[in-house]
This record gives sequence, structure tokens and C-alpha cells, in this order.
Amino acid sequence: MHHSINIMSLVADAVILVILVAFILTAFRDIARIGTGISRAWAVGRTTFIEAWHNRMWAIPVIWMVICLILGFSIVRGYTPGSEVRVYLTIFIRAQEIILLVYLGILACLSLPRERERKTLITTGAKPVTRLELLLGKIMGLGAAALVMLLAMMLFTWAFMKVVDHNIRSDAMVSYKLEKKNYNRLVRHVPPDFGLLYTATHGVLQAQNYITGKLRIAGMISYATNPPTRYLKGGSTETVYFEFPSIPANLSYQPDFLFRFGLFPPGRPAEIHITAIERENPMVTEEASVKLNAAGSAAWTPKHPFRFFSYTDPQTGRVLSPGPVVLKVTCPTFHTYLQIGDGTHLSNCSCIVTGVNAAMLHEHGIDYILPKADPVITGFKSNGWQEITGPGKTGQTPPEVASWEFTHLNPLAIPKTKNGKFTLHLICGVSKQTNEAIPNYAALFAYSSDDPTNPVKILKLHINEKRVTVVQLPERLLDGSALIVNLSSIVHGHWLKIRTNSVRIMQKPSSFIGNLFKTELIVFCEVILLITIGVVSGTALGWPVALLTTMCCYILGNLFHFVSVLAKANGFELLNIVQEHRLQGVWYYQLGSFISGVMVHVLEILVYLLPNFTRFSPLPFITASRNMPWLFLGQNIFAAMISMIPAIAVGYLVMRKRELS
Amino acid sequence: MVASGFAIQTRQLTKIYPGFWKSQQVAALTELNLAVERSQIFGLLGPNGSGKTTTIKLLLGLINPTAGDALVMGKPAGDQDTRRVIGYLPEESYLYRFLNARQTLDFYARLFNMNRAQRRRAIDYYLDFVGLDPAVRSRRIGTYSKGQTRRVALAQALLNNPDLVIMDEPTSGLDPVGMLEIKNMIMRLKDAGKTVLLSSHQLADVEDVCDRLVILYRGRVEIQGTLNDLLEVKDTFQLEARGVTPEIQTQLLEFAQRSGLTDVRTGRPRVRLEDIFKNLVDSKRKAERR
Ligand SMILES: Nc1ncnc2c1ncn2[C@@H]1O[C@H](COP(=O)(O)OP(=O)(O)OP(=O)(O)O)[C@@H](O)[C@H]1O
Ligand SMILES: [Mg+2]
Repeated sequence: MHHSINIMSLVADAVILVILVAFILTAFRDIARIGTGISRAWAVGRTTFIEAWHNRMWAIPVIWMVICLILGFSIVRGYTPGSEVRVYLTIFIRAQEIILLVYLGILACLSLPRERERKTLITTGAKPVTRLELLLGKIMGLGAAALVMLLAMMLFTWAFMKVVDHNIRSDAMVSYKLEKKNYNRLVRHVPPDFGLLYTATHGVLQAQNYITGKLRIAGMISYATNPPTRYLKGGSTETVYFEFPSIPANLSYQPDFLFRFGLFPPGRPAEIHITAIERENPMVTEEASVKLNAAGSAAWTPKHPFRFFSYTDPQTGRVLSPGPVVLKVTCPTFHTYLQIGDGTHLSNCSCIVTGVNAAMLHEHGIDYILPKADPVITGFKSNGWQEITGPGKTGQTPPEVASWEFTHLNPLAIPKTKNGKFTLHLICGVSKQTNEAIPNYAALFAYSSDDPTNPVKILKLHINEKRVTVVQLPERLLDGSALIVNLSSIVHGHWLKIRTNSVRIMQKPSSFIGNLFKTELIVFCEVILLITIGVVSGTALGWPVALLTTMCCYILGNLFHFVSVLAKANGFELLNIVQEHRLQGVWYYQLGSFISGVMVHVLEILVYLLPNFTRFSPLPFITASRNMPWLFLGQNIFAAMISMIPAIAVGYLVMRKRELS
Repeated sequence: MVASGFAIQTRQLTKIYPGFWKSQQVAALTELNLAVERSQIFGLLGPNGSGKTTTIKLLLGLINPTAGDALVMGKPAGDQDTRRVIGYLPEESYLYRFLNARQTLDFYARLFNMNRAQRRRAIDYYLDFVGLDPAVRSRRIGTYSKGQTRRVALAQALLNNPDLVIMDEPTSGLDPVGMLEIKNMIMRLKDAGKTVLLSSHQLADVEDVCDRLVILYRGRVEIQGTLNDLLEVKDTFQLEARGVTPEIQTQLLEFAQRSGLTDVRTGRPRVRLEDIFKNLVDSKRKAERR
């Protein structure tokens, strides 16, 4: 079933709201004295910090330092410099995250129960300190412990990365000098790798600021027409995606999908492979292979139409709608290209739905639906990388083109060199099937989209596997309209592996340590949220149960996306067997389905109630050598605080009238 | 704010500790009516398990009453603002084992929002006041002897210069000198116009310091009144003098018989062990100092 508003998340929000209102109503006096209360809370926090210190908190950064030292003396070489740094940072930050979460989670769960057991709460509770201050104090103290450990570990990590950086730089310089010497002596045909020199001078510890564009694989592109014509390459993994909104069907006749591709070469028989997916529930799919006729057309009707089409139940009058549908189309026929229209009008659509229930559409007299205009094409995809192939052997087929579109550029925000150029960095992978000995060269076309008088800048670039290629482009291309950068391999048998941020317009870099610090702060957000949950569960529970509760919260908080997808399907429909299964009408099937449906929804409410831990992802920026924007950090801090408040409210409501002895 | 002159007032204060079964419930305190006047030293007596500690915890709002209510310094028990003027010495010294004496007092002083100078002054003053050996002050409390810990706990209770001091068995774990010091301290608090509520098993001490007392038994008040009312034997007269020769003794006895007095007892008065102990320690200390 498709809901535009998720009822379960509404229920969860309502519960949180009730908690907050109850908190404000009961705690307003305690909140009112928070002015002086903060220093009392910090007194509690200080003591908690000292306790953490006596619990050998200091040992963790020390062990960390030892690990860094050992690793530093036995640096694993053999990665490309960029990925080496990425591997280290991933390991370090993940490890820090785990150590801190586990250690401080345990301390948080122990803190209040232990005070209750040792009865120190009796002495403290007779002082003018409110329960809210006690709670906040515990969180502040452990938070301070987390921060201190984090900063200490950060410094060691940074020192270690400095050593790595130093090694990589000197290695790169040695290689560059060797290449240059060989080139000068004519031993080597290829000019020395500029990327090496770049690495040697700039190092790998960077926090780059750059602007990324929107990447689209143009497939095979022909600039002869306006707009350019795009082709899907047969026999490759290139896929075109057609997206349709909810499709209404009649019960008497069903809609079908109609395909119309331009064939190149014309008249050659071709086949397409279709995968239909219900977008709300990607587990519901149907696949088919269809032959195109000589004109490039074919029609296809799904076997189970009501997985994809909505209809009105004649008895109840209810609309049963599976929601939007996506068609993925590939062409398995070699040496064929399918021309794809941009889909802005009926005449240039490569796929439409015909025979829909016109009565349910807003426009009268129309019984077809167009997909979203300008369908997306992707190449071979793995781990977020896509591939574009080089030209055909004798040059009869052009290479595939990847196109980046940079919109809303602010020319002032982009630094220029003295001679009026701005810098573009190109980082892509190269795989070679033939011509292994030849270095890869790529063609880069840069032009401004709106001004035809502004000449296209064409460059031939030497591309090194995953190493920076620095490109200088004339300032005139930044004329306020969108900048288009097209890239293609020009060597036969060479693929370029690219992704959205493979082409970057460079801005002034930030400092690496600052970036590391911001990354650590995001870890801190996650840790302090867990601390809050731990302390709060310790208000009512003994420490073993509190630990278990906190663990469950963390795990469920990490399942956020998984559970929301799970909950889209209902009961046994999850298994996608409901429509044709003969058990469907049997009472125990229905009972089981009902129970599992209820369970999934309870889980869903629970997940919506608990803080979403998937939000905090410290790694993507720093491992990409990219500076984390303050906005991203701010959003994380804000999210952590927003999630902490209901947790603190729950803790307060539990603590408020609890006896302290 | 203060309508009554009472520092503590309870009405029908009752505490039943809950239990899963009815038989597990404990009626620790039943309908207690107390009235402690300001500047009074009030004793709370009773055998083990009679509800003294329960009463004190109720007064501090550490536990919630099952029925009845209590006013402390004119406000309901457990009020945050009244806690500023209360000092509490728990029955056992529940302190953080990982802090040293100074850190401990610093922590509690911070809870009273004292600033740095005030804290330093109060800590130095009260550590000397309770006579904690300077050699141990920077050691963790976990390593202290029972009496040393007790002294820190006592300092903690006096730190805010409270108007009302509630002490649960203040002398437990202290040496005789310490006990005496506490007794003197309580008298000094009284002179300073403070109210003291204390529970104790040391009847002699209670006798020496208290103005008024109640004796609890199984959570109920059995005896209550001022010390004079309770201890004075109204129909008896005592005479003590020096230089009484055997002749005078016989004459006195004869005179008593003639006058028709009954239950006449004679003998030499004894000093109390406590006094001997104190005199000895005092003279030794004086000798050491010289
Ligand atoms: N948390 C509790 N749960 C159940 N019963 C309790 C609890 N605390 C105290 N009691 C019971 O309440 C009664 C009164 O206890 P309380 O500690 O007040 O005695 P007390 O007069 O202070 O004794 P003592 O002289 O031994 O310190 C006792 O029977 C005790 O077992
Ligand atoms: Mg007791």
C-alpha cells in the first residue's frame, strides 16, 4: 500500500510530543533554575569525569598511541596513495567510533546504577541539586570524557597520518624524478606523470573544497542534432531508467508499455531486457525480454499487472495502488545502438504507457502516460563507480561520453590563477582490455551551456589511475550559465571509471587537521547520543538491563532505513507471494500474515521513536580528502541535540519521583 | 515565609516500604507527629529498625511518604531551596571512593554554587574543624579508615553552614575523642542558633546534648518530651561534698533516719570512663606539645 504520509511515523511523533509536553509541564521549575543549575550539573559532570579517569579512561588513548606507533613503523605500502590514506582513515575513525561507543556506553549505563548501589546518591540527593541537573551532569561528564579521549586520539591519528603523508610524498618525488630522467634520456615515451609531482608537492593530507556537478552518462552521444541524440549501447551493461507515476488501469483492459527506439544501424533486429520495479517496494519486480521490430518498436504487458497498476475495487470503490513504477531497460544485442529520445513530448518518448484508465487521469481524453523527461542512463556500476568505454577499434563507433553539468556557479567563489584560469581536478580510474602498454588519454570538452559564442575548450589529457589530473580552464567559461564538462577516453580498449565527483571545480583548500576535527565531532555526536540513552536507561534499570537496552537502541537506530523499507510491505506480502498463492484465503495464512504485519509495524514505531543513528556518517568527506562543510557538521550536531531532548525528557520523567535510596 | 517557629513539623507521617506480597511490606513508620523548634537539639532514639533513618530520609525528600506530610523550614520536605540551609550526615558515610577529601568537599561545595574562594575557605575550615589528619587529605577516600571517612562526611554536612543539621548516628565509627568533639560541636551549633536533629544509640551523648527527644519503637512514638521532664527524678534529692569524715557520715545517716526518709543510699561518687579517657588523652597531647 502506498501512503503519502507514514502513519507509523506520525504515531511516533505524537508519542514524542506527549513526552515533551509532559516533560515541560513537570519540569518547568527545574528548567527555570537551569541558570545556576548548569554549574551544579557540571559539578556532577566533573565528578563523573574523575570517576571515568579512575576507570582507566586514559589507558585508551595510550593504547591508541601504541597502535599508531606500531602501525607507523610498519606502514603497509602498495596501495595507490589516495586509497592508502583512505584505508587508514577508515580504519582509524571506525575503530575510534567503536571503542568510544562501547566504552562510554558501558560507563553511561553503569553510572547511575552504581551510584544507587554505593548509595552515594543519598548524600548527593540531599544537596540542592535537581534530578534534571543530576541527569544532565552525568551526560556532561561522560561527554567531556568522550571529548578528551577523542581529542587525544585525534592528535595521535594526525601525527600518524603525517608520517604516512611524509612517506608518500618522498616516494612520489623519487618516482617523478625517475620518470623525468628516463623521459629526458628517451628511455620512456610517456611524459612524466604530473599527478606524481602534484602528490609530492601537495601531499595526500588534504581537505579540498570543491564543487561537484551532476553526472550523466550520455551513452553514445551525437552532437549533430539539437538537443544532442543519445544512444544506449547494445551488449553492454548500460541501462536506461524510465520512471512513471502511479498508473491507473481498467479492470476490462489493462495498460501496456510501448517502446519506440531509433535503431542504429537501422533495421537490424534487436532485443531489449525489461525489469519493472515497484519503486516503494523494490522487492516487487518482474522481468521480461522483448524483441523490437524493424522499426524499433515493441509492446509489453506485465504478467501480474496489479503489482504495478492501480485499480478501483468495484465492490468497495477503494483505489488499490502500488505506487510509482520504474522500468530498467538494457539491450543485450551486440553492435546495436538504441537511440533514446529525451521524452519531453509524446513524439520523442522512448517508452510510454497506453490504455490507462482515462477517467482516473486529470486530463480528459488522454489515455497514455509519459515517463519523467530526460531518462537517466547508467553505465556499468559497481561501488558507485560507472564506466565509459573508449572508441571502437577502427574508429567507426565513437567513445561513450560522461557529462558533468555545473549549475548555479558563483564565479566569485572560484579562485583564479594569475593568468585568469581556474582549476579543475580530474580523478578517475582506468581499466584496459587491449593496448595495455599505451597510457590512457582522454578528451575533455568544456563549454558554457547558454552562450554559443563562447568557444568550446578542448583538451587532451593524460589520465593516471586514481591520481589527480590538474586541468586549467579559462575564466571566460564561468559566464554565469551552467558549465558543461564532457569526458571520454580516446584510446581503444580503455575504460574510464568515473563517479559524480570525478570532475571537481577547485576552491581554496582547508586544513586537514580541521577536517579531522570536524570528523571527530561527528563521532562525538553519535557517542553523546549513546551516552544519553545509556544514562537514561540507567535511571530506572539495573546496569545489565540498561546495557541491553542501550545496545538495542543503538542497533534499532542503525536499522532505520531497513525497517522503513520492510514496513512498506504488509505481513506475508513481504514475501511477495500473496497475489497468486492458494493459501491466501485460508484463515491461518491470514492470521499469520496479520501477526507478522502487526509485528513489523510495532518495530517500525519503535524505530521511529528511537534516535536515528544512521544519520551520523563521519567518513565520506575525510576519506575523499574533502573538507566537511560546516553546514553538514551543524546538521549533525542539531540532529544529535534534537534526539537527546526526548531521551532526557524520558529520563527526567522516570527520575522525578524515584526514591534515591 | 516561616509562619511557624518550627524547623521541622510532621503530620501523620507514614512510610510503608512496598513489597511484592503483602507480607513483604514493611511499615517502617506509622503516623509520626513531630515538632522540632528552631535552635533546639532534638534526639531521635530507638532500637535498631525502629524507623529513625526512615524518618530522616522522609524529611530530606530522599524517599516519598506513603501518607501524611512533613514541613522542613516551613516548606514541604525535599524542596530544592530549603536544601541550601540543610546539612545531612547519612547513617553511613556514603562518599565517592575515588575522590580525596578536598575533591569531595569541593564537589559538594559546588552543589551549593559557592565560588572558588568560598570553596577554598570552607574546605580548609571544615577539614580542620572535623580534625581530619592533614596527611590523608590528598588520598582517595577509598583508602580511609572508618573514622576518617566519617569526619569527611561530617565536614560535608556542615559545609554550607546550615541552619538545620540532620545527623544520623553522628558518632558511629568515631573514637572517644571524636565523640566528645562531636558533642562539643553540637553544643556550639546550638549556641550559634542552629537546629540539630540527631539519631543515636549513644544514650549518654544524647543525654548530654539534647533538649528534647522522642523514642521510637517499631515506627511508633513511645516516649516524647524535654530531657529535664524525662530524666529528672522528681521525689529524690542528692548531696555530694568533699571532706566528709566517717563521723559526719554516721551523723548524716542518723539524721536521715530520724527525719523518716526512705531508700537512703550512700557511697563514693564515680567519675565516668569517658571523662578519664578524655583527661588522659588531653594531658598526653599537652605533654607532646611541650
Ligand atoms: N528500602 C527498604 N525496603 C524495605 N524495608 C526497609 C527499607 N529500609 C528500611 N526498611 C525497614 O524499615 C524499618 C526501619 O528502618 P530504619 O532504617 O529506619 O531503622 P533505624 O531506626 O534507622 O535502625 P538502625 O538503628 O539500625 O539504623 C526496618 O525494619 C527496616 O528493615
Ligand atoms: Mg538507622
